[in-house]
Amino acid sequence: MTPRTITELAAALRDGSTTPRALLDDAFAHVDRTEKELNAYLTVTRELAELQADAAMRTLADHPDTASPLCGIPMALKDVLCVDGIETTAGSKMLRGFKPPYTGTAVQRLFDAGAVCIGKTNCDEFAMGSSTENSAYGPVSNPWDIERVPGGSSGGSAATVAAGSVPYSLGTDTGGSIRQPAALCGVVGFKPTYGRISRYGLIAFASSLDQIGPFTRTVEDCALVYAAIAGHDPRDSTSDPRAVDDPLAALHTGVAGMRLGIPREYLGEGTEPGVRAAVEAAFRVLEAQGATLREVSLPSTDVALSVYYIIAPAECSSNLARYDGVRFGNRVERPSLTEMYLQTRGAGFGNEVKRRVMLGTYALSSGYYDAYYRQAQKVRTLVSQEFEAVFTEVDAIVCPTSPSVAFTMGSRDDPLSMYMCDVVTLPANLAGVPGISVPCGFVDGLPVGLQVIAPRFEDARVLRVAHAYEQATDFHTVRSPYAREAA
Amino acid sequence: MGLSDAEKNRLLGELEAILDHIARLQKVDTSTLAETAQVGDLVNVMRPDEPEEPIGAAAALRNAPVTDGNYFVVGAIQGVELDA
Repeated sequence: MTPRTITELAAALRDGSTTPRALLDDAFAHVDRTEKELNAYLTVTRELAELQADAAMRTLADHPDTASPLCGIPMALKDVLCVDGIETTAGSKMLRGFKPPYTGTAVQRLFDAGAVCIGKTNCDEFAMGSSTENSAYGPVSNPWDIERVPGGSSGGSAATVAAGSVPYSLGTDTGGSIRQPAALCGVVGFKPTYGRISRYGLIAFASSLDQIGPFTRTVEDCALVYAAIAGHDPRDSTSDPRAVDDPLAALHTGVAGMRLGIPREYLGEGTEPGVRAAVEAAFRVLEAQGATLREVSLPSTDVALSVYYIIAPAECSSNLARYDGVRFGNRVERPSLTEMYLQTRGAGFGNEVKRRVMLGTYALSSGYYDAYYRQAQKVRTLVSQEFEAVFTEVDAIVCPTSPSVAFTMGSRDDPLSMYMCDVVTLPANLAGVPGISVPCGFVDGLPVGLQVIAPRFEDARVLRVAHAYEQATDFHTVRSPYAREAA
Repeated sequence: MGLSDAEKNRLLGELEAILDHIARLQKVDTSTLAETAQVGDLVNVMRPDEPEEPIGAAAALRNAPVTDGNYFVVGAIQGVELDA
């Protein structure tokens, strides 16, 4: 038996062939077996999971027809998502022991649907990174090769789905932190339109870019989780009040007649030959399904990286000012308040966080604000306009998710080379458009991801294209060694 | 943020390299472009002006390193000046 999807498990829970408790026991047993190598979890929430599994058992017994497809199914949450009373560290020493006094909206919606949370997953500190090597609690290993990174920053959430411990998890994507680890771990990862998922209860990194989204094994599962968490929330003022299109309604309608664009800048010199070959083969599959493919141009892709590495650090330097040792988090005691702030922040933050706080503070300082921050905001407008122009010519964009496959731990110790990982994912965050990564091949046994991007609020279209591709191929059925072990 | 001398030296080199790379932004002609602060089109979002149940002092103070009754405790605000 291979690890199953949400859809399969929901059917099994209803035909009596399994129970929420049995699924939970399997999930914990699998985590116990694999955690020493993978380090995907920061907290395992056994007590919470057992309560939720028992509640799900009652819901399924009383209302089998109306219960959510997510009811009774185990899942995991990136450790930047707040759960009332459950330690939430954001992968930082600063928040060791922090137990939020409330649960975030996206998480609460899953809990209301009957989800069973088995734990909080490891991530780059405050979601800053592309390899999960920046966690204060040690790196996560890629289930396809434990010497390699799973991508980041949601590396733990991607790895646990790829390892087969849970059928889905939530991550967050500020510059590619769902899509890139999904590609590197051979699973589906979806960043919805900015404003579609409430950020209430998400520990903020860069508020104009952050978005919550799911990791799953199939696109259909992804649509199910998205449908459960999407929609307006009065607690997040950037949450959009427009009605959410049912992502399942058009999921199976295929890509015949669709116009798909391939941005020439997204297959540049930095793209590994194996990745290029896998993605180009994927283009031909979509063509065979009846889509029309053509080259398009997003000329500012090159400067989008610079825009991102000004705006994200600027917002981070502001958001992380709250970690001052007064109201929550760790404190280094000193007699004077100023000295306490300095020592608390110096001891609590890791290298990458310090780099970004410094960079952001610099970009926002009075002498440099116009040259850096204001200029970046203007070029951000240009990046959005280029997407809008392309979307008058094509219905969606198809391209690689990451220029490379999973790389060896420790091999990118220069910050700039790490930042380059996000070159084809971060433009979607700057423009607020939805993007997904779906498995599209292997290079030397390491997964490659195909990215699909559509206009804002066309989340259902992203899922439809990804589903059409997935159904025409079998890369999503190939399991990592850890998932095969679970079978 | 308190940084050691070793950290300052390392950050200096790293930030210089990053800023050198970012400098390409200055070449973009932005004379006709407005700034994007947010991608959405929502402005002045207000909730109904109705009282809601507050989180409560006990929950708000639960994670504080040091408290006294319903207060957060910190060191002397003028400590630096007095120390000097």
